[in-house]
Amino acid sequence: MKKIKFIFTLWIGKLLMHFSNVFAKGRGTNMPGAKANKLMPDFIGNFTGIDYSKVIFITGTNGKSTANNMVVHTLRSSGKKVCSNLEGANMIGGIATALIRDSGIFGKVKCEYFSFEIDERSLERIYSFIPAKNVCVTNLQKDQVQRNGEPDYIVSKFRKVFNPDMKLFLNNGEPRAKSFEVFSENVVYYGVGENKYTFKKDKFYDVTMPCPKCNDKIVFDFYNVDNVGKFHCAGCDFKSEENPGFYAENVDFDECSFDCGGSRYIVTNNEPFYIYNYALCIAVCSSLGITSDEMQSAFYTFKNISGRMETLSYKTKVLKYIRIKQENPETLQTALDYITKDKSPKIMLMGLEELRDFHPYYTNTFYSFDVDFESLRDNNIKRFICFSEAVAYDTANRMIYAGIDKDMISIIPNDNDEDILKELDKYDVDNVYLITWLKKFHELEKSTKIYGGDENE
Amino acid sequence: MSDKTLNISWVYPDLLNLHGDRGNVMALEKVAKLMGITPKVTRVDTFSERIDFENSDIILFNVGEVKTVAPIVENLKKYGNGIYDFANRNKVIVAVGSTGAILAKQLKRRDGSTVEGLGILDMNCVERNEIYGDDLYYTLDDKTEILAVQIHIVDFFLENENDALGKIVYGKGNNDSDSTEGAKKNNVYFTNALGPVFVKNPWFAQKIIAEAMKQKGVEIEAKDLSKEFETELKSAEYIKKFIKNKG
Repeated sequence: MKKIKFIFTLWIGKLLMHFSNVFAKGRGTNMPGAKANKLMPDFIGNFTGIDYSKVIFITGTNGKSTANNMVVHTLRSSGKKVCSNLEGANMIGGIATALIRDSGIFGKVKCEYFSFEIDERSLERIYSFIPAKNVCVTNLQKDQVQRNGEPDYIVSKFRKVFNPDMKLFLNNGEPRAKSFEVFSENVVYYGVGENKYTFKKDKFYDVTMPCPKCNDKIVFDFYNVDNVGKFHCAGCDFKSEENPGFYAENVDFDECSFDCGGSRYIVTNNEPFYIYNYALCIAVCSSLGITSDEMQSAFYTFKNISGRMETLSYKTKVLKYIRIKQENPETLQTALDYITKDKSPKIMLMGLEELRDFHPYYTNTFYSFDVDFESLRDNNIKRFICFSEAVAYDTANRMIYAGIDKDMISIIPNDNDEDILKELDKYDVDNVYLITWLKKFHELEKSTKIYGGDENE
Repeated sequence: MSDKTLNISWVYPDLLNLHGDRGNVMALEKVAKLMGITPKVTRVDTFSERIDFENSDIILFNVGEVKTVAPIVENLKKYGNGIYDFANRNKVIVAVGSTGAILAKQLKRRDGSTVEGLGILDMNCVERNEIYGDDLYYTLDDKTEILAVQIHIVDFFLENENDALGKIVYGKGNNDSDSTEGAKKNNVYFTNALGPVFVKNPWFAQKIIAEAMKQKGVEIEAKDLSKEFETELKSAEYIKKFIKNKG
C-alpha cells in the first residue's frame, strides 16, 4: 500500500515538474518536491537505488551552495552521474525535486552519486530519510536571527544528527564546525594557510566568540575570511589542527593557484572564501576516488552558478551589485572587504532595508555592528547614500560610528527608486557599489532601465 | 576636584558577542564624551582575567548565547560577594538580552536542565522552544521612549511586576503575557532591547551614565543633547511610523 502511495505521489511530482518546466520556469526547483512531501511526509525515504556511502550533504551558514556546485561539477566532469539540488533549493522540497527528476517511474534513482546542499534547519529531517555517510560543515555563523536566534541553536540541532557512522568533512579554521569532530572517528579537516590576504584583528573593539567546548574566549591567530582562520581557545586545548589533511597552502592569487593534498591546482576563482570551497571539494572528491588530474581538469571549467556580483548600467554609471544575505554579518563584511580593494573614486549605495523574510517584518540592523566599516573611511568613497523606508538613519549612524563624516552621507528615508537614482545623479562619479538584498536589486534593475533611458517603450 | 572619569568594565566581550552589542560600548563612550565625561573602558576578556569591582562605575554584560549563562554565573560566583556588594552599593550593572538570566534566580533550559543564577534580580527565566524576532518599543518610568529590536529566546518572569524597567508600547518584552519589559532594581538594569540599545537610544545611555557618575559622587549637569542625537531621533521617528503601519 505504501509503495503504491509513493508511486502515485512520485507521478504527481513528475507531472508538476513537467508543467512547471513548460508554464512556470524557475519554480520547478522546489515546488514539485514540496507538493509531494505534503502528500506523503516520508516521500524522500522511499526512493531506491541510493548508496548512502555515495551521498554527500553539504551544510553550514555560508559557502554551501558554492561548495556543492563545485563538488557536483567535479564529479560530473569526471564522468560520474550525480543527483543534486544545484539550484539552491536546499530544504526537503528541493531534495525531493532532485530525486523526482533523476528517478524512473517506480522511484529508482538513476545516479551513482548524490550531492546535496542542505539548509541547516532541515538537516535533521532530511537525514532521517536519507542517512548520508558523508557530511560537510562549512561554518556556523550568525544568520537569520529571527528564525535561528543564535548559532548554538543550530549547533544543538546538528548534535542530534551527527554520529559515528558519518565521515565528517570539517572546516579546520572555524571553531563551531570543527567542534563536531567529537561525533566521529572518521574526520577529514580542510582549511587554508596564511596568504597575502590573511589578516589579524587586534583593535580594541575586535571581538571573537565563545569556545564551543568550554565557553572561554576563542583567539584567532589569523583570519583568512571573517571568523575563519587559525584559532585556539584561551581556556582549554581546543584549537585548529596543525596539519589538516587538506590544507590549501602557497596560495598565489595572481596566478590563481595553490597546493592542496599533495598537488598544485590552478583555479578560476581566487577570492579567499573560494579557496576554502576548493579545499573542501578536493577533500570530498579525493575521498570518493577522484584523481587530482580529474579535479584539475574540472577546476579549469568551473563557473559558479549563482555569482555574488552583478552589474547594472545607469546613464554613464556602472552599478556593481554585491549580494548580501540580510542579518548575515559575514556576507556584509565580505562585500565591504571587496569594495575596499577598489581604490578608485566611487559612490556607495547602501540599502540594508527592513527584514521582510518572515512575519512580523521588523527593523533589525544590529548585524551592521558586527561588521567593520572603518576601512571605508579612507577608501576614496566620494558619497555614501543610505536608503530604506525605516532604517536609512540607522544605516547612516553605523557609518558615523565608523568615523565617516556625517556630511558625506545622503539619507533617503524611503525605498523609492526614482529618489535613489535622482540622488545618484547629483554626483559625477560613475563607479557605484550597491549593497542591498536581492529583491531591491531586481527592482533597481528595472528602474535603472526606465530612468536611464534604455527601456523599450 | 571631582573625578570625571567613567570606568566601564566590558565583561567578556568575546563570549557575549551575539548581536553587534559592542556598539553599546561605543555608544557609552560617545555619549560620555558629549556629557563632558572621560570614559575609560576596560575589557575583561577571559575567565582568568579579574573584574575590578572596586574601581568600576558600570559593569556591562552584553547579549550572548544562552549556553554562556551557566559558565559566566559559575565564574562570577568565584568572586564571592564581589558582584553583590557592587550592586548593593548602587553601582550600575547592565545586562542585555538573554544574558539577563545571569542576574535572575533561575534559568530553565530547553533540555530540561536548570541553571541557578546570581539572584540579584527577582525573576525567573525559561528558554523558549521557538524564537521570536520583532521590533521592541517601550517607555521608562519617566516616559523616555526606547526603540529597539528583540530576538526573544528566553522568557523572563518578574516576581513583582513593579520591578519592570519599562512598559511595552509595541512588541513582546519579557514574555507573552504581562506587557512588562526588562527589570530594574536599584541601579541594576536588564533589558531585552537590542539594536544596539544604547546606539539607537543615546538618551538612555545618558541617563545611565549620569546615574553611574552620581554614585561616585559626581553630579552631572543635565545637558540637552538633542542636536547631537539628531540621527537617532530621526531613526526613532521612522521606525515608529513603520511599527504603526504594521498594525
